[in-house]
Amino acid sequence: MTEPLLVFDLLLAGVVVAVAALTLLVRDAFAMIVAFVVFGIFVAIAFVRLAAPDVALAEAAIGTGVTGALMLRALAHLRGGSLSGKDPAPLSGPTRATTLGIDGTLAVCVTVALGIAFFGAPQAGPGIEAEVAAALPQSGVAHPVTAVLLNFRSYDTLMEIVVLLAAVIVVWQVDRGLSGASDPLTGEVYQGFARVILPVAVTVGGYLLWIGAAAPGGAFQAGAVLAAVAVLVLLSRLYTPAAAHRHLIRATFVAGTVVFAAVALGVAGAGRTAFEYPPGHAKSLILLIESALTISIAVTLGALFHGREPASPLRKETR
Amino acid sequence: MTEMTPAMIHGLAGIAVFGIGLMGALAATDRLRRLVALKLCAVGAGFVLVAAAWRTPPAAPDPVPHALVITGIVVMISAAAVALAIIRRLHSLEAETDE
Amino acid sequence: MSDNLPDPMILVILLPLFGTVAAFVLPRAAPVIGLATLAAMTAAVVALGRAVAQAGAVSLPLAGWGAPLGIELRADGLALAMLALTALIGIAVGFGALGTFARARTSAGDGGQPTSRQRAFFWPLCLLLLTGMNGVYLGADLFNLYVMIEVISLAAVGLTVLGGTVTALRAGLAYMYASLLGALMMLLGVGFIYLQAGRLDFEGLAGVQPTPALSAAFALIFVGLALKAALFPLHFWLPDAHANATAPASALLSALVVKAGLYILLRLAEAGPFPGETLLKLMGILGTGAVIWGGVQALRADRLKLMVAWSTVAQIGLIFIALARGGADGLSDSWRAATLLILAHALAKAAMFLAAGRIKEVIGHDRIREFDRSPVRPTLAQFAFALAAVSLIGLPPSLGFIGKWSLMDGAMRAGNWHWVAVTMIATLLSVAYFSRALTGFLRFDRVRAPVTEHRGWALADAPPFMLALLAIGLGLAAAPILVILEFGQPFGVSP
Repeated sequence: MTEPLLVFDLLLAGVVVAVAALTLLVRDAFAMIVAFVVFGIFVAIAFVRLAAPDVALAEAAIGTGVTGALMLRALAHLRGGSLSGKDPAPLSGPTRATTLGIDGTLAVCVTVALGIAFFGAPQAGPGIEAEVAAALPQSGVAHPVTAVLLNFRSYDTLMEIVVLLAAVIVVWQVDRGLSGASDPLTGEVYQGFARVILPVAVTVGGYLLWIGAAAPGGAFQAGAVLAAVAVLVLLSRLYTPAAAHRHLIRATFVAGTVVFAAVALGVAGAGRTAFEYPPGHAKSLILLIESALTISIAVTLGALFHGREPASPLRKETR
Repeated sequence: MTEMTPAMIHGLAGIAVFGIGLMGALAATDRLRRLVALKLCAVGAGFVLVAAAWRTPPAAPDPVPHALVITGIVVMISAAAVALAIIRRLHSLEAETDE
Repeated sequence: MSDNLPDPMILVILLPLFGTVAAFVLPRAAPVIGLATLAAMTAAVVALGRAVAQAGAVSLPLAGWGAPLGIELRADGLALAMLALTALIGIAVGFGALGTFARARTSAGDGGQPTSRQRAFFWPLCLLLLTGMNGVYLGADLFNLYVMIEVISLAAVGLTVLGGTVTALRAGLAYMYASLLGALMMLLGVGFIYLQAGRLDFEGLAGVQPTPALSAAFALIFVGLALKAALFPLHFWLPDAHANATAPASALLSALVVKAGLYILLRLAEAGPFPGETLLKLMGILGTGAVIWGGVQALRADRLKLMVAWSTVAQIGLIFIALARGGADGLSDSWRAATLLILAHALAKAAMFLAAGRIKEVIGHDRIREFDRSPVRPTLAQFAFALAAVSLIGLPPSLGFIGKWSLMDGAMRAGNWHWVAVTMIATLLSVAYFSRALTGFLRFDRVRAPVTEHRGWALADAPPFMLALLAIGLGLAAAPILVILEFGQPFGVSP
């Protein structure tokens, strides 16, 4: 281990922890979200440093980018359309010292337990990376992370997309757009900007999806980039969700889940279990699943940003 | 402890971030801040796993934790979206009853 | 098993998933889709039951890789019993929901959601919940269980806020946060176990040497799951969430959702060096706290549903005591008592919440003090409530009695008389709080309603009544249940 790199590691880790603390210490909610986004960017850098580019991409795009956008959207709603200004519901006074003490003790206890668990575990201990490496040639893809996500542990990934589907179902159920939830303010600059950036972003998303088979990238990262497109399109009002598109939108939400689960069941039989791709077809089936996933993820994340379902026929009843 | 490795440094940072998030989640009084704190917890947990997957080059890192963390990120944004939707809706309803 | 049909194990999980999708895409047909899915799922559970009865424990290496590289599903008697319970409760609650959401009630002033919307969203969420529950029962991989428990948690939050009222939304948000924190602790604990063991499958845990690091990882998972299972003092989110949800949602939440955390703890105990003696003692102590605190709060509750919700806190405590009662012997025997209590509580609590929903619907409120002033009497619903209470209190011959008897029997044989005492206290407290409601049902001296207003029963009373009958009657079938539980010998050879 070379010294300068170690210094860089120490600095980076220090900055990450400091920004994390800052995020929770700043008083203003807008500043908090900005600090959180900055924190996410540093974390992504650290992930790249730790040779985890896939995770860095996912963290930057989904964990920081889309999450930050969702939070800003919610804050704009709470503050009646603008991002500045006071929080409407004033916080109850400073928490009592005793409560704070108990919370602090609890948090410290758990953190110490974590420290024990981390340092007590063998460093660079035995994983199942050898098994992954051995099975990689039969997986249909050359990139180990994609092989784990879409082949070895594909059942987990199906359930992960189901979690995302669950989220959009609950969001649509909860958000009924009472009392005119104000949309974020947009200007004409956006429209021009959007027209320029859209083709680029779509290309990047498609590239990420394709390259995921061989290099860092894949459905989730591509979906997140395309979701950014969706957010941009919504903000610039190039597309306004209309009631007539409701069924199409719902179908797009579930497309990833349906294609994935149907393939999983469809390949079963003739001695193969569910999720077991027939030899020779792994690559094409994975690409099919990933394409469906990408579209579903992009539209779902866009819908999570937009919030409520476009004017439903039941609207009359909801006032 | 023998030698400082990037895995240890970043693992420790991850644990610290998790602790900060946990403290924030327990102590926060407003809804949005508590969600941000929980998100910090999630990032901290992911950080620890990614750090643990690191291997001294030229060995490639263990891909399994990477896949797990990506799954965790997607799970977290789903939960965050639901929480934010409830926060927004509650705000609308509470604003209505105040008037 | 035909070669062309997928294994029933994966069907048990994917059928409700397809049902979710269909019910979400076609909201108008949601009830039909939901009931059809429940029927298909039950058929798959029966098929799986046949396989398990023939072969003992069966497993399915998904994607053909097998552990540790891939994920395996595994079914034995314990999993089968839970699957059957879930299918049964799903069907009963499904029929109950038909009645609950049938009337076109428009929203109340508190922002409540109109019933047509509730019906449209109930089914996808209910089926999603069953997907997650079945996935947990069949899961044999730590990380997969984390993902499954997140599926459950999002569906459960959706069900909690289904009513759309401010109180329900507040409770739902608190639940979401508690659940999320629990999930994150579990995620980190799972990660640490992977560091230590290098594997995520249960089989890989068997050979791991217990070290302080591993204990810390297990402790993290325990805290996370205890938060999800609402073990005192981490129960703070439960009473509001369960008391303010609509009746079918409350039934699913209390009968099934809290059991997911308990079930995973059972499976962890089966698989690896968990829980240590300290953790077992802690479970007993916290369980005792839950029994007393939950009981006292149930006594003080002014609303029926709140009382039922607090009784869940107490009953969960009792299940943890059942786990702890064996002392040094660990869970090799006490898992049976815990499982019986889980089954009994699930049936009785689902019946109770459905009945409480009916009572509230007919009388118009659920304030316990004013029940005896009501001019109308939902007789059958009240009778179902009383039957369920009999099982929860633990009177013979109910399933609850068998569970408690099994708990006390084991505690006595282990010489742990204090657990017998705590069980007695739990029984006394439950008699006290349930009798508050039951006396309200029985006294009709204050108001005599005209006969025309005497709405005795309706078709919607059937589901809670059937569940309550099962909660009592299955006590007579305890022997076959125990035989089923032994399929595949969970926790090794019985002593």
